[in-house]
Amino acid sequence: MTAREPLAARESATGAIYDLGYRAYDGPRLGRSAAVATLFWHSLRAAFGWGRSGRSKIVPWGLTAFALAPAAIATAISALVPFGGASPFSYDNYIFQISIILALFVAAQAPELVSGDQRNRVLSLYFSHALERADYGLAKLGAMIVAVFILTFAPMLVLFVGSILVATDVADALGDQLENLPQVIVAPLIYAVPLAALGLAIAAWTPRRAYATGAIIAVFIVSAAVAGILGEATRGRLADWSQLVNPMVAADGTRDLLVGEPNFESPASRGNLDLWVFGVETLLLSAAATAAIVWRYRRVAA
Amino acid sequence: MSLIEARALTKRYGEHVTALDALDLEVEPGIIGLVGANGAGKSTLLKILLGLLSPTDGSASVMGLDVTRQGPEIRQFVGYLPEHDCLPPDASATEFVTHMGRMSGLPAAAARERTAEVLRHVGLYEERYRPIGGYSTGMKQRVKLAQALVHDPKLLLLDEPTNGLDPAGRDEMLDLVKRTGTEFGIATVVASHLLGEIERVCTFLLAIDAGKLLRAAPIVSFTERTGTLGVEVEDRADELAAALMARGLEATADGRAVLVTSPDERRYDVVRDAVDELGLALVRLEHKRHRLEDLFSGEAIG
Repeated sequence: MTAREPLAARESATGAIYDLGYRAYDGPRLGRSAAVATLFWHSLRAAFGWGRSGRSKIVPWGLTAFALAPAAIATAISALVPFGGASPFSYDNYIFQISIILALFVAAQAPELVSGDQRNRVLSLYFSHALERADYGLAKLGAMIVAVFILTFAPMLVLFVGSILVATDVADALGDQLENLPQVIVAPLIYAVPLAALGLAIAAWTPRRAYATGAIIAVFIVSAAVAGILGEATRGRLADWSQLVNPMVAADGTRDLLVGEPNFESPASRGNLDLWVFGVETLLLSAAATAAIVWRYRRVAA
Repeated sequence: MSLIEARALTKRYGEHVTALDALDLEVEPGIIGLVGANGAGKSTLLKILLGLLSPTDGSASVMGLDVTRQGPEIRQFVGYLPEHDCLPPDASATEFVTHMGRMSGLPAAAARERTAEVLRHVGLYEERYRPIGGYSTGMKQRVKLAQALVHDPKLLLLDEPTNGLDPAGRDEMLDLVKRTGTEFGIATVVASHLLGEIERVCTFLLAIDAGKLLRAAPIVSFTERTGTLGVEVEDRADELAAALMARGLEATADGRAVLVTSPDERRYDVVRDAVDELGLALVRLEHKRHRLEDLFSGEAIG
């Protein structure tokens, strides 16, 4: 009998609302930190299309596959052809080689995380919940950093695990490779922080997703092109300093400074600038972009 | 401690626009109607109470918490329904309301459980699993109400809850608001420019005009009898008015009605005789009540 009642209520023309009795909630209210954590996880899942339609998984998973493919193929070849020569990839040059994929990922997914909330005005609901305006931007930034980290860490992990497994003496290789573990973890982070911050700072500026994606691609491509042209067209100090225009080079210089060896495919390692210059640039870029995100969300209308 | 208190609360946009002008308020729990013309400052007041906007001057508190310094604490206990669209089209009602529950600090399991209850309360059934983008305006308004209720707020701020609804949808939404306020005992502020709606659901009325408090009083005091008798006839109202004046009553013609203002006990008999003598068709005799509209037409109310 009880089970039939909701149905009856639904069918009647006027009493469309069936009342099971509103119950008050006396349980815990976890407050601001829980709200920020919820937003972080929600955004991280969204960065990979998790819990969304199949269509929104195509870009992040496709780019992840592209980022992984060279590492996986190189590992497979060295497993099948034991003495087939040195792999073209190392922990030092891999991320810089796939930097175009990182740029595309940031351009596609940073707007995915923030544009819709502005366009659909979901922001006014977020801001009327248990967090501060700046928390929104920082939770989104955290999610974006972790997403780019996952994208870059995954192939490094494949190189790492692969080089252990294909070795003739696995235990010995494990010992050797453990020395590289800090580099395998820290190098992706050195790329993830400035790229995510820069991308999100641009995406936060417009509710239009397509504009944001275009602007981020433009910044990465134009900066790389300008740095490339200046590097070719000028001589001496100017050629060296012009490389700072490209944030990918800055990140690679920072990687060279902090972990690992020079990567001679990157102008940072080839040039004559002290590496700390790239470290300072990466730091300033990350800080300025974070400040821009916080500034934007403190002021945006909601 | 009052539910809502404001002291000299002022909000200016730029140099020339003053949305709230030194507003003083003290509101006790109940269903409170906040009325005023478009642009009177209703939405601005609600947004300041939520901490979405910061006041230019003065102070305000909700449940004894200061709106500028204790925003997240207040917002844990407040539900807000904005007047504009604020829903992401690609999420389902269940996903979105659960997410918003967690943004208010509810643990995951509690958020899911309360989402199911609250969606049933607002009358969303099978459709709650479909993306919100395909919902009708009425269904979207219900989702907006559900997300405002999911964390069992102590205070509900509803900004034009019947915006965009057809007459049947309006009736259902108003019933829902009334039941939420009376049966569940959640203090509710309903902002509306439609006085009829306020009259139907609210127990207390705050009238603001050009950012100033016009009046704050229980709703019954606005709708008391005025002592004026309205006599509606099919035609020739002016002849009837003249006949009543000749019999010693104070009467004025007002369209098809004659308003008799003398408190004379015999006026019913006099009206009957005069109507009979002139051979008029009497449509209705009624005690005139104050109307909320009088608030804004400048008439004094007793």
